[in-house]
Amino acid sequence: MGIISRAFKNIGKNWYRFGLFFVTTAFWLFFAWRATGFLNSFNIFTLLRFASVQVMVGFAQMIALSAAEMDLSVGAIGAGVAMFVGALMQLLGVPYPLAILLGMLLGATAGFVNGILVVKTKINSFVITLATSSMFSGIMFITTKAKAFTVLPQGFVDLSRVWTFGLPISPLVWIMLVVAIVLYFVYSATSLGRKILAVGANRRAAEMSGLRSSKIRITVFVLVGIVAGMAGIMDAARMESAGPIIGTEWLLTSFAVPAIGGTSISGGNVVVFGTVLGGILTGTITNGVLLMNVSNFFVNFFLGLILLLAVGFDRLQKAYRERTSVK
Amino acid sequence: MKQREAVLKALHINKAFPGVQALDDVSLTLQQGEIHALIGENGAGKSTLIKIISGLYQPDEGDILIEGNKVRFSSPRDSVGAGVGFIPQERNLIPDFTIGENVLLERLNQSGAFVHYGKINAEAKQWLSAVGLEVSPKVVVSELSPAQMQLVETAKALALQSKILLLDEPTASLTPHEVEFLFSVLRKLRDSGVALLFVTHKLEEVFALCDTVTVLRDGHVVSQSEPIEAMDRDRLISLMIGRKYVVTQLPSKPPRAKTPILEAVDIYSDIGSEGVSLELYSGEVVGLYGLVGAGRTEFARALIGDARIKQGEVLVEGKVAHIKSVADALHRYSIGYVSENRKMEGLILAHSVVSNITITVWDKIAKMLGVIRRTEEKVIAGKFVKRLDIKTPSLEQMVMYLSGGNQQKVALAKWLGANVKILIIDEPTIGIDIKTKYALHDLIWDLSANGVAVLLISSDMPEVIRLSDRLLVMKEQRIVGKLENSHMYEEMSQKIGTLLA
Amino acid sequence: MTKRKSDLTKGRGRSAFQKFVSSDWGRLLVIDVVAVAIMSMVSKEYLSTFNLFVITRDVSTMILIGFSQAIVLAIGQMNLSLGAIGGLVAVTSGGLMAMWGWPIWLAVLVGLLIGVLAGYLNGMLIVWTGINSFIITVATNSIFLGLNLGMTHAKPFYNISATVKAFGQARFGFFPYMGVVTIILIVLMVILLKYVVFGRQILATGGNWNAAEISGVPVKRSVVLAHIISGFMAAVAGMLWMSQLGSAQPMIGVSWLLPSFAIPIIGGVALTGGGASIGGIVLAAFLLSIIQSALVHLQVDPYYVQFLLGLLILSAVVLNELGGRRRRA
Repeated sequence: MGIISRAFKNIGKNWYRFGLFFVTTAFWLFFAWRATGFLNSFNIFTLLRFASVQVMVGFAQMIALSAAEMDLSVGAIGAGVAMFVGALMQLLGVPYPLAILLGMLLGATAGFVNGILVVKTKINSFVITLATSSMFSGIMFITTKAKAFTVLPQGFVDLSRVWTFGLPISPLVWIMLVVAIVLYFVYSATSLGRKILAVGANRRAAEMSGLRSSKIRITVFVLVGIVAGMAGIMDAARMESAGPIIGTEWLLTSFAVPAIGGTSISGGNVVVFGTVLGGILTGTITNGVLLMNVSNFFVNFFLGLILLLAVGFDRLQKAYRERTSVK
Repeated sequence: MKQREAVLKALHINKAFPGVQALDDVSLTLQQGEIHALIGENGAGKSTLIKIISGLYQPDEGDILIEGNKVRFSSPRDSVGAGVGFIPQERNLIPDFTIGENVLLERLNQSGAFVHYGKINAEAKQWLSAVGLEVSPKVVVSELSPAQMQLVETAKALALQSKILLLDEPTASLTPHEVEFLFSVLRKLRDSGVALLFVTHKLEEVFALCDTVTVLRDGHVVSQSEPIEAMDRDRLISLMIGRKYVVTQLPSKPPRAKTPILEAVDIYSDIGSEGVSLELYSGEVVGLYGLVGAGRTEFARALIGDARIKQGEVLVEGKVAHIKSVADALHRYSIGYVSENRKMEGLILAHSVVSNITITVWDKIAKMLGVIRRTEEKVIAGKFVKRLDIKTPSLEQMVMYLSGGNQQKVALAKWLGANVKILIIDEPTIGIDIKTKYALHDLIWDLSANGVAVLLISSDMPEVIRLSDRLLVMKEQRIVGKLENSHMYEEMSQKIGTLLA
Repeated sequence: MTKRKSDLTKGRGRSAFQKFVSSDWGRLLVIDVVAVAIMSMVSKEYLSTFNLFVITRDVSTMILIGFSQAIVLAIGQMNLSLGAIGGLVAVTSGGLMAMWGWPIWLAVLVGLLIGVLAGYLNGMLIVWTGINSFIITVATNSIFLGLNLGMTHAKPFYNISATVKAFGQARFGFFPYMGVVTIILIVLMVILLKYVVFGRQILATGGNWNAAEISGVPVKRSVVLAHIISGFMAAVAGMLWMSQLGSAQPMIGVSWLLPSFAIPIIGGVALTGGGASIGGIVLAAFLLSIIQSALVHLQVDPYYVQFLLGLLILSAVVLNELGGRRRRA
């Protein structure tokens, strides 16, 4: 109850973020008008399913950004975890819920490696995760010979295939929403969330106030690893194939989705539901552009442009609010 | 008084920032061959004015005239071109460049598109010998000591050969000896006809160096271009703060505890501290006086686990303490540290008043699953906002929008919230208006009267003499004297002076 | 702080050899020579003229990719779009030759122009908006790649000028023609960063933004200029790569991100800005190519290459950081 009323209050305070909601709606209207089959329930089903993976990828980076870190290895972790889970199910016949759990554990381990390296070497997380990204993909390639696992159990595939409550909404969407609620709860109501944001806003001040920043940052990378792993698993369920292609396009997505949603790149704040909208927006654009038979190769172009517009717009708004905030 | 030429006029300057009118109809005249002091409390608008003259900021209204001609500087490039030099407060050197290139950075392009190192080094050598620095101009700046860097900065200012030189508190990190040397260079410049605008908040420097003085208060000029002979210390203070301020003697407080709560025994740390020892008792304020760079902050950092102690030990309540981080200091030994650097280390500026005050107790007030109840958090923060009289429109206000004094109160409140038994306070009143300064003094006194052990680090002599029960004087990473405090300013300042000489 | 006083005298007391080994490029040179020596013992063909040609040709583009990132690192920023710029330039100049039969010089000129414009766009966007270079270039990376793929539909142009194809294979002894271009650009970079006012201003901006600004250095122009140089280097690298492959592949540049950071970082360029050691970059590019070629010769599973590259970068930055800490202490 408290959380819900607070959520509404936050919406009231951050009304300007509705800009994103209107932009997303405008795209829906536009595609409904121009793109044949956009409102077709099968397309809605595909779109939301795809968007929920995008949101998860955005969540992974959002967590890193909230602590003023970057994780360039989210794609490599996603792919590695997805293929690990695929291998467990296809080669060893591990039941899918257990395989997923083990996959998340692998994601956590990879994140832990990132975190330890960043904290112990005191080197910029960008460089560390650029290197580990290459190593994680390398390990994945070495162990799987880059062959996709496509014989996946029915229960696993159903996570993406079935309609729930008679609606064109795949279980993947619900999983994403549950993660969103958990993250909102962590950031708005728990001491862990506060600490992460404090470290993200000013690490030195947080340390000098008695927070253990090393521990907090390692936790952040572990969380990133878990969420990136989940995103990989969800993408595998969506494509019904756990292959090395997963994660290859996530670099842009992972930064664009939270940035469009209003999360600051320089740390210290998060907008969880903004990230949800951000993922839905990038998902919508990808889907709509493909339907419109514009060369699908232009999708990248549009996403880059939207990201530029979003961060530029955010900057303008901040400047405007600062100018008008004279007491 | 002889008639001199006005080289720089700032007329009716207005400048507003979000929430404040930084300068309101400010005018200033700078004459050839004078050192003109621009003084005022923090936030009076000194830095804003100097930044407008140097082209870093643009005025909302008003004009700048140089030798009678109206100029409009859109960046420091323009002002450098018009013969205005600027020595800012911060380090002004490119670390990876050589001394020579740094000295002549403004004029790298003097011989066309290519840099002519031979010429540069030859010229730089002249300026270096003018400031008495006998190091090759080919040495890279990052290899120099801070004092040497300061000399390079001075040489750089000389090399400008500008008609007008703006200096923004250039003595902050200098020893008295270095200050005296800088002043002699500045006097030479004045005698050669340069007009100098010297921004400071140290009154001694105004009297030692300057010819005329302009006082700013709250963005207004309250006294313009008065000759220094016509001024005295008290009048300057009352101009700066707007009224007479009578400092009262603090009442006496209950006696301190019998046994020390904190003992430092012969501490050597890897960032300074050479054999520092002290004892701190509950219920007393110990003043740790020294100049900037004497090693006071370095010692405090070693105590709270922010630097590694190489040798010696720290005892808390008689037992050897192993403090590896500020978190250890707080949670295991109940030691708090109010940083001298409020903006970078003391506060999370982009977070709310509540967050900043309760950061030290999040773990304590967290319930199941680490949930922090908003209401409980607000009660704690509200209590201290009231007790410390923190002026804020709401508890959710971002700390960056509070005034310096209120920010400092928030930085202090978080340690009160954590109920620490030992509090190290580093330069609590730097850059804070006089009223809040004395409110903070009362608060510190109150804390110690209630049994907290306070180590007060300060380079403000009146402050340590007023507040401390005992005084330690530090110089070059060592404690050079321990004094009982008689609270008599003349007597104590003389004793401290002899210790530092 | 006061401890640093003694640094000056210490620095002078060190022998020339110590200085050489502790300098970024001295250490790298030793490592490079040792690596080649080991490989020449392991494999007879390693020092064959052809293999030396392959390594040197590879290095020729790698150095430029390293420069492209290093010049932006020098101002404390990043360019994540350099690969996309290289790819876009390769397909446009290749396309102009293949589809419309433009003369080589004109197609190359247009290619360089696109590189410069792309860099200019990056720089202007960063300066105008004040947004972090990382996010801007992540976005423009996507835009440039989108343009590339949208125009080509991911199909290569095979029909580029025969002269260009021949250029990529031509050599004097083991030394590739392409290397001449790189040598010219190395010399230009050295001159730019050491003797040209613009170049010094770029380094000053990266070294201490505020001080540079107050001293009248045009800091914003320096930022834009650094990005223009970055775009130019990426464009040349893209066209050399095309000439080496003998076709204008849209996927040129997609694999450049990792080496673009690895080379300057291994070469001792600080991520915080202020410097760019040309010697270090050249030797680091050699190291990368020597190792890659060694992995081929040792018939290491190509899947291991990516892992080892990551490991190499990680160890390089960790060693650099530890070395730096020791020097500072």
